Formats: sequence, structure tokens, C-alpha cells
Amino acid sequence: MSYVLTWLGLMALLALTFGSAYLPMGPWNSATNMAISCLKALLIAVFFMHLRQAGALLRLAACIGLLWLALLFGLSWTDFGTRTLSPAPWSSR
Amino acid sequence: MTTSQFGSALERREASLFGMWAFLATELMFFGPLFFGYVHARLAQHDAFVSGSHHMHIALGTLNTAILMTSSLTMALAVRAAQRSGPTRIWLALTALFGLAFLGIKASEWVMEFGEAARAAGGEARFYFLYYAMTGLHAVHLTIGVGVVAWLWLYAKRFSAEYHAPVEVSGLYWHFIDVVWVFLYPMFYLLERYNA
Repeated sequence: MSYVLTWLGLMALLALTFGSAYLPMGPWNSATNMAISCLKALLIAVFFMHLRQAGALLRLAACIGLLWLALLFGLSWTDFGTRTLSPAPWSSR
Repeated sequence: MTTSQFGSALERREASLFGMWAFLATELMFFGPLFFGYVHARLAQHDAFVSGSHHMHIALGTLNTAILMTSSLTMALAVRAAQRSGPTRIWLALTALFGLAFLGIKASEWVMEFGEAARAAGGEARFYFLYYAMTGLHAVHLTIGVGVVAWLWLYAKRFSAEYHAPVEVSGLYWHFIDVVWVFLYPMFYLLERYNA
């Protein structure tokens, strides 16, 4: 039963993302879409991937990848965000 | 079946699930750089990404999202059926069929977009590069997923309430592929649709 409810939630969120894309909200469209995607991912992880019943070890393993990705994104951004790109003459930007 | 290195069947099950979660963390590292590249390129060339996105077939993309999320439901039901010695085979077959339907629709989209992609230049060419690279990598994973589910279907008789770790572990992989698509869908299909 909880699986079907999760699926209904996912479908409702899909309708919401699809619908919101036609409302002119400027940069907030992408923010809304990403928030809805995170919510969908959370539903899938908690119910379909059983993190709700999982012990501490599995929950940690599930989070550690995200933590690592956040570190790599942050460190990469210190590079791309603070330097001017000087493309080679033959590479079209 | 010996379980000598494990204290109990429960411990053994937890070990296999932990192994899959660790693998999924490495998969996240695999997809991660492409997501980073997308953010960087889109911040630099937002308008090109919007016009590229307007060439996407939004009806097919939305349908595919619904199909993949439904396949996650049938996969979750297959895992539960295996845990209870239930009708695992039916749910596995449905999951594989939904996966194949997704791949078929995706392939037809790739063919339709190819002319546009080949003509694109500058920022739009980068949009198409990321589109083909990211949905392509996703489709490779899904193809492997369909193969795994087909394999499970073939050996479904082996699984029971006592032994079902392969179904459970494959389920985690399948749901991970679904999660990746959940992010790809708005990134490529939904940019400033109100202007399209």
C-alpha cells in the first residue's frame, strides 16, 4: 500500500513540475524543478529503496556519496568560479 | 550455502545491501562530473540551453518519466514479492517491459533530434553534447538494469523468503537509475517552457 502511495506522490510531483514549467517564474522555475526533483528522489530513496527500515550503516552509506559529491562540487567551483577561462584559439566557446 | 564469514543470515543480507549502496556512491561519482559540467555550461550560456531545450519533445520526455517511475513501483513490488515468496516473476517482467519501453521512446527521440544536434553550434552544440552524453550514460545503465532484471526473471524460482538478496540489491540499482532520470528530466526538457 505504501508503495502505491509513493507512486501516486511521484506522479503528482511529476504533474507539478510539468505544470510549473509553463508559469513564467524566471530563475524560480529551475529552483522549483530542482526542489521537486529532490523531493521525488527522497520519496524513492526512503520508500522504494527502504531507507525507512534501514539501519544506521545503510543510511550512512546512502548519504556519504552525496556528501562526497558536494565536496567535489564545492572544490571544483572554487576553481571555475574564481578564474577567467582562456580557451585555446581553436576551441569554440 | 555456507555463511561462515557472517554471524547470521541477517548480517549477510546487510552486507550485500551495504555493498550495493557503496557501489551506488561510486556511480554518483560517475554521473557527478557531467552534472557539474551542465551547471557550469548553463550558467555561461543560459539562452543557448533554453533554445536547445525548446527542441526537446516534452510529451515524450514526460511520458518516459512516468514510465520509469512506474517501473520503480513494479520493481519495489517484485522485491516485496520475493521477500514473501510471492509472484516475483510477473513484477520482474513488467519492470523489464517498462524499461524497454523507456529505451524505445528515448531512442526514437535521439533519432528525431539528431539532425538538429548536428547543425547546432556554440552553446547549443554544448547543450546537445551534454544531452546525448547524460541521457546516453543513463540509457547504458538502464540497459544493464534490464539485462539484470531479465536474468532475475530467468532464475526467479531460486528466490524465496529465506534467500532474495539478488532481487533486493538489483532493486536498489534500478531505483538509482530512476533517481538520475528524475533530475535529467527538468534539466533538459523544462527550461523556460512558457516561452516556447
